[in-house]
Amino acid sequence: MPLTTDDYLDLRLGELLDRLSADGLAPGAGSAAALTVAFASRLVAMVARCSLAWEEAAGVRAQANAISERAVDLAHTDGRAWEDALAALRDAEAGGDADPRRSFSLEQKLEAAAAAPIEIASLGADVAALAALAGEHGDPTYRADAAAAAALAAGGSAAAAHLVRVNLGVRTTDPRLARALASERAAHDVADRMLESNR
Amino acid sequence: MSRYASLSDAELVRSCREGVSEAWNELVERYSRYVYAIAVRGFRLSDEDAEDVFQDVFTRIYTRLDSLRDDSALRPWIAQLTRRRCLDALASKGREVPADDVLAGEETADLTEVEEAFTIREALSGLPDACQDILDRFFTRDQSYKTIADELEIPSGTIASRIARCLKRLRTELEETE
Repeated sequence: MPLTTDDYLDLRLGELLDRLSADGLAPGAGSAAALTVAFASRLVAMVARCSLAWEEAAGVRAQANAISERAVDLAHTDGRAWEDALAALRDAEAGGDADPRRSFSLEQKLEAAAAAPIEIASLGADVAALAALAGEHGDPTYRADAAAAAALAAGGSAAAAHLVRVNLGVRTTDPRLARALASERAAHDVADRMLESNR
Repeated sequence: MSRYASLSDAELVRSCREGVSEAWNELVERYSRYVYAIAVRGFRLSDEDAEDVFQDVFTRIYTRLDSLRDDSALRPWIAQLTRRRCLDALASKGREVPADDVLAGEETADLTEVEEAFTIREALSGLPDACQDILDRFFTRDQSYKTIADELEIPSGTIASRIARCLKRLRTELEETE
């Protein structure tokens, strides 16, 4: 049965993982990317919470928690959009490519399916930026956690950018894809720098 | 923005008592959302009933402001007037009225949320415009750091820090309010 629940957070982690591996329906790669960004964001929140001497810690924690909530929302949004796109794909396969209305509808669904990953990639870049701040000013005991958060955020961002590329089927000059790729690069640069300095 | 917008509640009440119409306008502006939120979110009144409550509450405020003993207690007084008027509205519609002003857990939680939101809004208005703007962009409009940086023409790497500093100032404002 497809996951149509409005709250992935109501699922036990084991159940969510089972759903991920169950079939081709949501949650899929986009939701997994969003939840990866959410995990990364909560890690940053943890680093901030444990950094008692850091004046900006509370503010960073609030931002990390806000981003995490947005990422979970996007996991839902992406799941729904992907199910719609998948249904349209099957519909198109069943009817052939002859019907222009059907192919227009499919194109629209695929564009909609790309919207959430664009935002997920952007959130990944934001989490990486927050992780850099936490790594630099937070308690050094938790620097490795901050670096891990940046790596996870970069992974989520890269996965999301890839989905944008596939769903849109466009060249890199498309502004939507360019935006996703810029987010991916930004997150990746931060993660590389943090992992390197944390060795 | 009216020059009365920067007055404290107590100062505003004094100006209203002196019959300054601009002060009255500011009082309505400051508390209209609050009254409406209590009616709609706290008591689940329809828009129409909430509008009646709204009119009645502000009429009472206008006619009974002299009975307010502590000028700085304007907000709890308005909250009490609004709650009573909401209970009257529920009773007149034949809906179940919570006994002795006791609300169900969910309604109490909603009223607390309304109170908190109002407190935060008040504290926010005490922050510099730049802080209000950046907090609004990040927390209300869900803008990314890059979008904020591009639109405000400030380095992207400084956004999270700026937001954190503004949140710290907001916390200070809230502590001073308490």
